[in-house]
Amino acid sequence: MSSGGLHLSHFAGMVAFALFVSVALGCLSQQTPKGRLKYAAWSFVLFIGTALAIAWLMYPFAR
Amino acid sequence: MNDTQTPETHLSEQPAASAALNKRHFFAPFIAVTAWLVPGLGHVLLGRWGRGLLVFCAVAGLALTGFYARGQVFPPHSDDPFGTLGFLADVCSGFFFVIAHLIEKTGPDVSRAAGDYGTRFVAAAGLVNLLAVLDVCGISLGRRN
Repeated sequence: MSSGGLHLSHFAGMVAFALFVSVALGCLSQQTPKGRLKYAAWSFVLFIGTALAIAWLMYPFAR
Repeated sequence: MNDTQTPETHLSEQPAASAALNKRHFFAPFIAVTAWLVPGLGHVLLGRWGRGLLVFCAVAGLALTGFYARGQVFPPHSDDPFGTLGFLADVCSGFFFVIAHLIEKTGPDVSRAAGDYGTRFVAAAGLVNLLAVLDVCGISLGRRN
């Protein structure tokens, strides 16, 4: 990090966002530790997977 | 009521249950305000240590990443309706909204992509904390476990 602030790449920003939000959703929506872990992991995979799928769908139209 | 209880003991339990319910309703607003001010503290006060710690880590992670990426923290007064919505989202992050100016001394820089992401991170921190406050309200009122 420089004086210009944290330099997040697009992918790092997406992973960090997906991680924090998945953890929060998992622990707030499920009652058991196993259920929370499962929900958070599934939510994280869906966040990343959906973003990558949309990115590949947009790839032919990038230029 | 189990089989060994008589109807009399069941009736004697009703005022105690009602008093406990009134106590819950009395303390619910205080716990909700505490949960808003310090993310996760409401869950800790209700004995949900693990959930409180995870909520704090998630909100802190989102908010601090947003601040260090120089995301915009919206002021209370804005001519733009989206600015007002942004303020409402940001203020939900509790004391992280207050310390934003201490961390983000050079101010926001949304001309870079990272700064723009930072604005979303800060708003998401507030919304996650809002969900946590609603969860705390449900627990303290006995509607959730």
